[in-house]
Amino acid sequence: MATIELKNVHAEVAEGDEQILHGVDLEVKSGEIHALMGPNGSGKSTTSKVIAGHPAYDVTEGDILLHLEADDFDGIDEIPESARTWDLLELEPNERAALGVFLAFQYPAEIEGVTMTNFLRTALNAKLEERDELLFGEDEDEDEDDEADAGYETSPMEGPADEGEVGVAEFQQLLSEKMELLDMDAKFAQRYLNAGFSGGEKKQNEVLQAAILEPTIAVLDEIDSGLDIDRLQDVADGINALRDEQGTGVLQITHYQRILDYVEPDTVHIMLDGEIAMEGGPELAEKLEDKGYDWVREQVYNAA
Amino acid sequence: MSGATRFHAGIDVETVERIAEERNEPKWLRAKRLDALEALSDLDYPDVIQTPGRTWTNLADLDFEALVEPFDQTEEKDWVADDQATVVPFHEALNDADLEALVKEHFGSVVDPEENRLTALSTALFTTGTVIYVPSNVDAEDVKIRTTMNGTSLFNYTLVVTDQNASVTILERQDTGADAATEERYYSGIVEAAVGENAYVQYGSLQDFDQSTYNYTLKRGVTDTYATLNWIEGNIGSQLTKTGVSTLLEGESSETKIVGAFFGHEDQHFDLDSKVWHRAEHTTADLVTRGVIDDEARSVYEGVQDVGRDAWDTSSYQRENTLMLSDESEADASPKLIINNHDTEASHSATVGQIDQEDLFYMEGRAIPEQAAKNMLVEGFFVPVLEEVEVDELREDLEERIHERLH
Repeated sequence: MATIELKNVHAEVAEGDEQILHGVDLEVKSGEIHALMGPNGSGKSTTSKVIAGHPAYDVTEGDILLHLEADDFDGIDEIPESARTWDLLELEPNERAALGVFLAFQYPAEIEGVTMTNFLRTALNAKLEERDELLFGEDEDEDEDDEADAGYETSPMEGPADEGEVGVAEFQQLLSEKMELLDMDAKFAQRYLNAGFSGGEKKQNEVLQAAILEPTIAVLDEIDSGLDIDRLQDVADGINALRDEQGTGVLQITHYQRILDYVEPDTVHIMLDGEIAMEGGPELAEKLEDKGYDWVREQVYNAA
Repeated sequence: MSGATRFHAGIDVETVERIAEERNEPKWLRAKRLDALEALSDLDYPDVIQTPGRTWTNLADLDFEALVEPFDQTEEKDWVADDQATVVPFHEALNDADLEALVKEHFGSVVDPEENRLTALSTALFTTGTVIYVPSNVDAEDVKIRTTMNGTSLFNYTLVVTDQNASVTILERQDTGADAATEERYYSGIVEAAVGENAYVQYGSLQDFDQSTYNYTLKRGVTDTYATLNWIEGNIGSQLTKTGVSTLLEGESSETKIVGAFFGHEDQHFDLDSKVWHRAEHTTADLVTRGVIDDEARSVYEGVQDVGRDAWDTSSYQRENTLMLSDESEADASPKLIINNHDTEASHSATVGQIDQEDLFYMEGRAIPEQAAKNMLVEGFFVPVLEEVEVDELREDLEERIHERLH
């Protein structure tokens, strides 16, 4: 059982001093689905970005912690006690990802020249390698150092993309299984990452990546925007599978009630002006659909 | 003409006569050499690229006195030929009556020896080269010319001639010998291509000199009706490179691509230009260059699409992208479009920028460490140009050089 915990998180834009988050408190555990709703500009996307470590935002106050239990990672018998609580703000984005924090982007990057297969296998192997390093401190002298001074000294040819833990054939198998599950055309595997993908294909691809990387906590930023109903169903199936089969804790940022019919949340959080203003069960989302954010504002304002 | 005097130390009629004599050259060639020599001091250096407020490359400042040693032109050259094509060392071609006639017809017809001071110098002093001739209806693949420079100077000449319906893919590459002295060197190469009716040529080059080499190359081709001439211009090595690649689209419905890839680091300096002249109806050009610079390297690119008055129904496209990996590197790019016929579909664009931070964050968000992510982005950046390369050795070696530079 893993838990991500946001405690009184304040954040501002790194260049400039515009404060966006004014003390966010939020907790998501393995196997739970949380919806994070709120009007434009309320801080939902910023919340997702500070969790993942986007360099454009500075967290000025508060904590983001990841709590793990001994058996949270498949394939690792026991996570050492000293490596069960992580201050994510101390970690690089790739290290957070290695510990299983996954962000599905609202606007996924288009990367030409890098095929999906190559990218995802590299990512999976990087995740496994980095995770081992974080948990057990292995390989300190080898790969990390190479990475750090990946400079201009004469370094021996490394040959084609290093094999890593998951080999090409094994990965192909895994990828085609996951793509089938999401009803994605096999040809996507050889296309360049998101390059020329439609909006819906990009969103589907985000869920595919989550399925491959098997995150502990997945933050899905408007994964439901721009999807037609068939694809929404595929994406929802993918999210439910993450929760049901991998025990992923899901924080789903959305504008719309629609996806919540397919992915039923345990908890709904409503964000206003950089804070969680209201929380409740799935019925809160329906109420919100009826009454709108002005109602939330009134409630909060009157209560205060 | 202060620079002119520099050439005169040891570069005179006697020098040129000796080069020609030792190679038993025919009179006509001797005459061309001597004409070039005579013109030398009145000619200007090649045009370099200027961007507002800045001249990037100053060729006149090079120490040609030290760089030009007419009798220290040692090299190793190796030729891999498809047996369908004729691929012979330049001076061997002159011993064959038919080939000599071919060379005589084309030598200096595409690149005027007196185009500028450095082409004239090259014509006066060249000692080596290759003639590639592909007869009608012959399809030749993977012709390779590998030159390793060992002396202080090397002046090289390449002629490519294809007859009707012929097809050929070529790789010409240059590097520096392991035993070459470490002092500065000068390489000068001229390539002329005459592509016959409905013929196809892809000429790829890989410039992989060590970083003590100053490099001047000029490659130009002319197309007959329905001919296609595609250039691949790979620049990895050298201290300074000034290179021009151009196509004269003279035949109706002829086409050209000029595809460039360069990767500069440390204090390398690249001055690269691509040019196409549309001079007939229904011609098509596509100019695509991608380059990366790191450390204190500098690059400047100029691309010109020149559509002539009679070039009806022209299609002409140009894209250049330079990626800077360091704050100290400098790059500029200047795409130019000159249109004298309104029946033209054309586009041109150039970008100079750094790695996209959102792309980088996206990859890091998938557990890929920053440096590895950058490397993947750079390697991916080159893919669209690498995909154009038909000779495997060129594509693979370019990939390998890029990989080495990143790791």
